[in-house]
Amino acid sequence: MGLPKLGLSVALACTGVLHAQRGAAGLWSLQPLAEPALPVAPASHEGWVRQPLDHFIAARHAEAGLEPSPEADRRTLLRRVTVDLTGLLPTPEEVEAFVRDREPNAYERAVDRLLASPGYAERQARHWLDVVHYADTHGYDKDKPRRNAWPYRDWVVEAFARDLPWREFVTAQIAGDVVQGDAHSVAATGMLVAGPWDYVGHVELREGTVDKAITRNLDRDDVVTNVFGAFQSLTVHCARCHDHKFDPVPQRDYYALQAVFAGIERAERSYEPDPAVGAARREAEERVRELEAEIARLDARVDDALASSDAPEHAALRAEASALTDLPDPPHDQRLGWHSTITRDPHAEKWVELDLGAARSIDAVVLYPSHEVFGGHDGPGFGWPQSLEVSFADEDGVFGTGIRWSAETEGSRHGDAPVRFTPSSGGRVRHVRVRSDHLFERTNDYCFAIAEIDVFVGERDIAAEASIRTSDSIEAGELWGARFLVDEVRPWTEARAHAQDHAARVADARRQIASALSLDAVRSAAAQRLDEARARLRALPPSARVYAACRDFTGEGAFRPVPDGRPRPIHVLERGDVTSKRTEAQPGALAALGHAEPLFELPDGHTEGDRRRALAAWITHPDNPLTWRSAVNRAWQTHFGRGIVATPNDFGHMGATPTHPELLDHLAQSFRDGGGSVRALHRTIVLSATYRQASTNRPRAVEVDAGNQLLWRAPRRRLEAEAIRDSILLASGCLDRTQGGPGFELFAFEDDHSPRYRYELADPNDPDTFRRSIYRFVVRSVPDPFMTVFDCADPSIPTPVRLETTTPLQALSLLHDRFVLAQAERMAARLEADGGDPIARATALAWQRSPNDDERRVLEAHAATYGLAAMCRVLFNSSEFLYVD
Amino acid sequence: MSTERSIDRRRFLFESGGGLGGIALTSLLGDEGLLPEGVARHHRPTAQRVVQLFMSGAASQCDLFDYKPLLIARHGKPWDPGTKVELFQSVPGHVMAAPWKWRQHGECGRFLSDLVPHLGQCIDKIAFLHGMVSKSNVHGPATFLEATGFLRPGFPSMGAWVSYALGSQNRDLPAFVVLPDGRGLPPGGPRNWAAGFLPATHQATAIHPSAADPIPNLFPPADSGLDDQEARADRAALHRLDQSYARARPGDSRLDARVRSYELAARMQLACPEALDVTNEPAHVRRAYGLDDPITEDFGRRCLVARRLLERGVRFVQVWSGADNGFPRRNWDSHEDLARDHGLMGRSMDRPAAALLQDLEQRGLLDETIVHWTTEFGRMPCSQGGKGRDHNPFGFTNWLAGGGIRGGIAHGATDEWSFRAVDGITENYDVHATILHALGYDHERLTVRSDGIDRRLTDVHGRVLYGVLG
Repeated sequence: MGLPKLGLSVALACTGVLHAQRGAAGLWSLQPLAEPALPVAPASHEGWVRQPLDHFIAARHAEAGLEPSPEADRRTLLRRVTVDLTGLLPTPEEVEAFVRDREPNAYERAVDRLLASPGYAERQARHWLDVVHYADTHGYDKDKPRRNAWPYRDWVVEAFARDLPWREFVTAQIAGDVVQGDAHSVAATGMLVAGPWDYVGHVELREGTVDKAITRNLDRDDVVTNVFGAFQSLTVHCARCHDHKFDPVPQRDYYALQAVFAGIERAERSYEPDPAVGAARREAEERVRELEAEIARLDARVDDALASSDAPEHAALRAEASALTDLPDPPHDQRLGWHSTITRDPHAEKWVELDLGAARSIDAVVLYPSHEVFGGHDGPGFGWPQSLEVSFADEDGVFGTGIRWSAETEGSRHGDAPVRFTPSSGGRVRHVRVRSDHLFERTNDYCFAIAEIDVFVGERDIAAEASIRTSDSIEAGELWGARFLVDEVRPWTEARAHAQDHAARVADARRQIASALSLDAVRSAAAQRLDEARARLRALPPSARVYAACRDFTGEGAFRPVPDGRPRPIHVLERGDVTSKRTEAQPGALAALGHAEPLFELPDGHTEGDRRRALAAWITHPDNPLTWRSAVNRAWQTHFGRGIVATPNDFGHMGATPTHPELLDHLAQSFRDGGGSVRALHRTIVLSATYRQASTNRPRAVEVDAGNQLLWRAPRRRLEAEAIRDSILLASGCLDRTQGGPGFELFAFEDDHSPRYRYELADPNDPDTFRRSIYRFVVRSVPDPFMTVFDCADPSIPTPVRLETTTPLQALSLLHDRFVLAQAERMAARLEADGGDPIARATALAWQRSPNDDERRVLEAHAATYGLAAMCRVLFNSSEFLYVD
Repeated sequence: MSTERSIDRRRFLFESGGGLGGIALTSLLGDEGLLPEGVARHHRPTAQRVVQLFMSGAASQCDLFDYKPLLIARHGKPWDPGTKVELFQSVPGHVMAAPWKWRQHGECGRFLSDLVPHLGQCIDKIAFLHGMVSKSNVHGPATFLEATGFLRPGFPSMGAWVSYALGSQNRDLPAFVVLPDGRGLPPGGPRNWAAGFLPATHQATAIHPSAADPIPNLFPPADSGLDDQEARADRAALHRLDQSYARARPGDSRLDARVRSYELAARMQLACPEALDVTNEPAHVRRAYGLDDPITEDFGRRCLVARRLLERGVRFVQVWSGADNGFPRRNWDSHEDLARDHGLMGRSMDRPAAALLQDLEQRGLLDETIVHWTTEFGRMPCSQGGKGRDHNPFGFTNWLAGGGIRGGIAHGATDEWSFRAVDGITENYDVHATILHALGYDHERLTVRSDGIDRRLTDVHGRVLYGVLG
């Protein structure tokens, strides 16, 4: 069970014992790709070989005195290749068609059908997302959702569907935003930011602190680890604190790599999925800028005239302006006011009520809109709804028809100007209610917030005496709380009111001057053209958003772009300690590979994008042996459960050595020289005789090679977590093959101060969740319990190989999980609807074969007593469903 | 309603245990191979198991355990520790004494604040580590560091390492159990008790003893209509199919392991409810753990369940006090009002923690059980906003008891303010190394290869604190 105990006899910790760093000379993976000749097939393998790669396997078989296994039967072969290439079981119809197809190239055609199917791209993308540790939340404390990470996931699926050459696949993910070409490649840089991100460390920690520096160092380390693990199969991150103990990676080279990524952050940015729209937008934006500049020039002339005017009223305005320069800022760091809970429903009802204690005659109610500072919706008017109603009640508590305020009638964007409501005279008021059922829109959800409420009796504000009730309130410490509605802290001050009045009078004076200078007609014509240009801009479809590598972004809290987009200086850090800076690192790669200069030749004043472009070129260089070996090894692993190198992210001294080094180089060369087609690579492998062998154990072969390192049979493998879920959906007839877009959620989400993800509240019958698992919204901190027990990848770290464990929790999940129970019911309904023999149909769906007599007896008896759903449950639990021979 | 139903089910299974042999199918096959076998010990252990009490949100050393008369003398005065102070959220306020009085306890005569009077009764069993420091003053990374030895998510929890090393002692219960706070999960959530690159078997089973469904999926959902007879029949049918599948494919131990995993699952269905059922505990025990007081009830129940799990062979139980950083405060992160928020958290922890120590001792379990009280960092001796305290990674307190630990002592100390550790400076690595040492392992030799590195719980650090070992 599980994996064998590893490494216990080798007590080599990361440091611990000092080992001399071994040179590149001793490391197999850094040697140039060899050009191995095809070994001659031994006599024992006469007629066996189908692909060049089989020669290498056959030669090793012969050396060890092994014979290959016979070819698997057709049903087994189709089941295997369908799962390997698409992550789904074949349908009974597909199996039947293949078994009946007697044409000599039946298998080739089946493989080509699978390689062309959407499932192929989805399957390859799933493997790749494991490697780059993609997820849809930040991880760490305050594991906030990344609502727009998915365009990267979709880009990966599309890249495999289009069979993007490996060179472009690599380049786009490192520098797709700065390399000329496909605008869509901006989303490809989602790879750089796919890993976890410490929200508190970035947003809440102050600039200049030691912890801030640690946060950034670890953040860049994740990017470097990701790029080098995924594309180069090297553990360069071992050199963060000291020269790599085993591989030729000095600290200097490691920090050179950090310097490559020193100008980007993980954030959301806009991009143009449609290049034509992008061009139109750029043009319209340019026009707007020109017109704004023209208007500014005209206004400057008016300003100059006003500044030099001798008129006494103009002098008075100037004097007043200088007195107004020190206006207090509205409070922005505490006691912001009341903030309702956040809802997905724009029409949820939110309200506050003031009980004045006794009925009295009131003259006015004044509401002050608020400011927001942390949540990325900064600015005046935060929380002010689309419409609201202020209503009043006497002692009896029965509210009359209220006074409405609506954005439709008052102007769409409301700032922080206070709004006054006057009750009809004569009435006596004890209760004041402010209610909205058309809320303020945040990014993807809604709320209602108010900074302050005044209730005037004559000139006196009596609101502080009132007791307050609310529909709900987030009560966030000293920031938000219902009690702050009447705390006399308001964003609006009299000084600001005065400033507005002054501004109005200045505007008036400027208008007079403009008229006197005959500039008013010119200006209004320019203003009209500006309005038109802006309208054209607005009419364009919105640009898309993606969580990707960013230089320029809005940010929040202490998380801001570096000034001028200049990369931050990176220093070699002694022992990885951010307070022990040594020499400044220059952008570059590894000196141990001889194919190109390690330090990038970049001019002074180069952009950070130049650095990443240089690294992409260094990695995709035809003579970089790691790139090509790494890629083919990963593809091989998906078909044999283990790579030619068993440690696909570590081709160093501590990793495994290749079982078939010549084969690895043969595949790497063909892959590189054939244009880097991943689809062709998979085709070669699955068409091989090696791949087509049966999985049956042979005692004599076990004696020679128990671990099947020499591939004398096909390995039997369990479906991965996603394949189990998807195949259950397929068997029940529920699988929705819609591709792309935002991930479906298998949990209920509560956006509290710390977000909560509650899987137990999800509805297992929600059809939105019937899509393939690759389109699942992946939460980093709280993993999906069902997927996790089946060894789903933990996106906190790269997962180059998934473990395959067998545990009682798997049994309990397949027996009792709501998803499985609901799907068993649906499959039972499908069997009823399909008619015919439900037992045969059920095993065809689950096992792709007919039941034998004993199986039929067991299943029939179970179905007769407990129903078809019970029988389907048993099938979902069966080894034959879960394993592929 | 679902609660009632699950209790009924639990009782039924408990009472009819003998009759369920048909599910368990124990006579057919042994369970070799499904239980993690463990790693041979490096030396003679003094402990067999660990219970970790984790105070989430940063519990204040200077309000609980680290007595500093100077704070009382200078209360309300400006604070000048003589160095630059870099705080998480705020600028240093005035010196703030603990809102509780301090008094001496036990034969050792050490001081505790009146927030934790019950722990005073156990003080001669406890070794305080007053010189703790952390590498981060941010909750998420610091919690990972304490729980897994690394600032970043993705590494195996200490409990997973202990499960990996010691293996399971009870074939019907998981080796590593976590009991999260009833109000929610700590920062970083289940990543704090994950198996990382160790096999998934070693990740904690999270149990919520007060929930209607304490272990998700242990039983069919109450509203599924699936009764026990049907579940039994499911398993019997499955057994027939899987046995013949395995028989047709000789030499694949995984297929036999799958068959046995269903038997083990059936036994877990009996063993887990029994272990969680505290209704049969005597009234005085329930009272001692504070099950009669709403403030102590949740933590108390989980401490009592922890003892029941430990005596049934579970190797590592992690009990959390405190949830996420939400409002109103539901953990130890008392930035705003320490008297109010630490007041509640301290009361909820004190009596159950003391009861656990005493109960383990009375049952003869304490000798071989390490009790580790910890938190991600401490709090500042100065005030934040007048009534709260900001984070302090420069000096805080852990304590150890039982399992070969010397009681009534303190290792390490902070300065006169309880601000910086100045003596016996101790990192999480040292505590982890010491616990592994007591369990019989050399922390430098308990390694697993992952991504090119022979990984350890203690990274490249850690010194065993021989001074606190008996």
